[in-house]
Amino acid sequence: MVTTRFALFFCLLGAALSLAWGYFDVGLQGAVRWLIGLGALWAFALVRRWSWFSAPGFFASLAAAAAGLWLGLAPGWMLAGALFALLVWDLTDFERRLRLAAEGDDVNGLARVHLTRLSLVALIGFALASIAMIVRVQFSFEWAALMVLVAALGLSQLIGWMRRGQR
Amino acid sequence: MSRSIFLGLLVYLLLLWGLASVRGELLALTAPLVLFLLIGFWRAPHEMKLDIQRTLSAERVAPGAPVTVTLTVTNRGATLDEVLLEDVLPPPLSVTDGSNRHLVHLPAGKSAAWTYTVSGPRGYYPLAEVRAEASDLFGLSRREGVLETSGQLFILPPILRLRHIPIRPRRTRVYAGSIPARAGGAGVDFFGVREYRDGDSPRAINWRVSARHTQALFANEYEQERVSDVGIVLDGRERTNHFGGGRSLFEHSVSAAAALADAFLNQGNRVGLLLYSNYLQWTLPGYGKLQRERILHTLSQAHAGPSQVFADLDHIPTKLFSAQSQIVVVSPLTADDLEVLIQLRARGYQVMVVSPDPVSFELQNLRPRAEVALAARVVRLERDLLLRRLQRAGIRILDWNVLQPFDQAMRRMTGRWHAGGAGW
Repeated sequence: MVTTRFALFFCLLGAALSLAWGYFDVGLQGAVRWLIGLGALWAFALVRRWSWFSAPGFFASLAAAAAGLWLGLAPGWMLAGALFALLVWDLTDFERRLRLAAEGDDVNGLARVHLTRLSLVALIGFALASIAMIVRVQFSFEWAALMVLVAALGLSQLIGWMRRGQR
Repeated sequence: MSRSIFLGLLVYLLLLWGLASVRGELLALTAPLVLFLLIGFWRAPHEMKLDIQRTLSAERVAPGAPVTVTLTVTNRGATLDEVLLEDVLPPPLSVTDGSNRHLVHLPAGKSAAWTYTVSGPRGYYPLAEVRAEASDLFGLSRREGVLETSGQLFILPPILRLRHIPIRPRRTRVYAGSIPARAGGAGVDFFGVREYRDGDSPRAINWRVSARHTQALFANEYEQERVSDVGIVLDGRERTNHFGGGRSLFEHSVSAAAALADAFLNQGNRVGLLLYSNYLQWTLPGYGKLQRERILHTLSQAHAGPSQVFADLDHIPTKLFSAQSQIVVVSPLTADDLEVLIQLRARGYQVMVVSPDPVSFELQNLRPRAEVALAARVVRLERDLLLRRLQRAGIRILDWNVLQPFDQAMRRMTGRWHAGGAGW
């Protein structure tokens, strides 16, 4: 439980600082203040164990990262910020689930497996996104739109299929 | 909103934004999110195939006694990354040690076992369900299920051992027992004198009477002792049992009924139990230990309740009781019950009333003020009058202050009954 909590605050710090640094780099001081404020609020929510806050916090961080990319800020910081926010969002829910465990349960074992897999996903995700940003392939707009449409449909189908399977 | 849908929506928004702004970086930002979703779905839990075995350290216990529950769960299906198992406990059963909920990683073919301790008040508790919620490692897809198991826990009312309770119904059964049968034969107590018959023991000859009648010999006859039918009526009406602050006399009535049933059955009688609450529950009369179990099971499930139909004792189905048998009513009593009880007596039943005293019970929790004392005096007078009328009708009364243990109250009262003679 302690490991998860430590990882949670570490990721939150990573998310807030990465995004803030990215904006600070180009002199957008107002945005930096907002991002630090968001980080502080999220930390407060974590201390108070307000699990619901992680979803709006993640959304806001992702929006900030996307806006930063749109504004042409350093993509590395934005990507790191979004990725750390994803980890915070996931770990908050994981911690909530761990709180349901009984005293004798192997909480440390579950946390170890979870953190290992999460780190792997984060690393692979970061690598994929970095490659996608570095390798630039020229597509026509129509081709890109078709690819996005196919991806969106595929994802919808996948989510729908998984949700039906759960019933 | 489900976590997978939330994440999916974020991915769509990013895709749309990337497409609208023609920025490849925004599309690239979706990569970790999509990977997260895909891995979550790849590790989504399959159909749960869990075998569950529950063992209890005891199935019949006294109220408040700890019962150790051991639950063993075996996974017959695919590996479950995270599964939250919860043994569903019916209220007001409570966990006193350990936990009825466990979060485990359950590989295929493996088992997880744990124990915890529960205790609770009187009642019947079916332990038939275990709730399971499996999820992937990232909590994106969940699968819930209720797994049926077998198990039950009876928390029986405490049984106080009573000594012999003197009853004398008009009609007894044919088997030998301990109740005077109002018929001559083999016994202990002198019953009368009759002419000596062949086969009588010479020791039975009453020489004094025979000396007066030179034509024949006379022998003493003793009163036969047999078993009887006893019907116990347990009053579970809310209006007589419930008081302010959620306090109830019903638990006391239940423990009295349990002690009485046990004592009558130990005397060899045939005992039946009628629960008169917001419903009628009749436990057919029977003998011995099995009947004791039946009655205790009924009592463990008994509860007081409100009813318009059964607000008065008018609906006691007297046909359930054998003619001229013994009826024991366990009730705090109200003034309306007088007529019904007298009618029972008039029909030839021997009636005994065990009445937990509601006045002293209520007074325990009231502040000692002048108004309270006056009110208590008035209701006490009303109750005394009611009890005296019942006694005058030939009904035996045990006015029981529940602060005193029932066995002591019963012992004191039976002593008085013995001292006062049979009287009925």
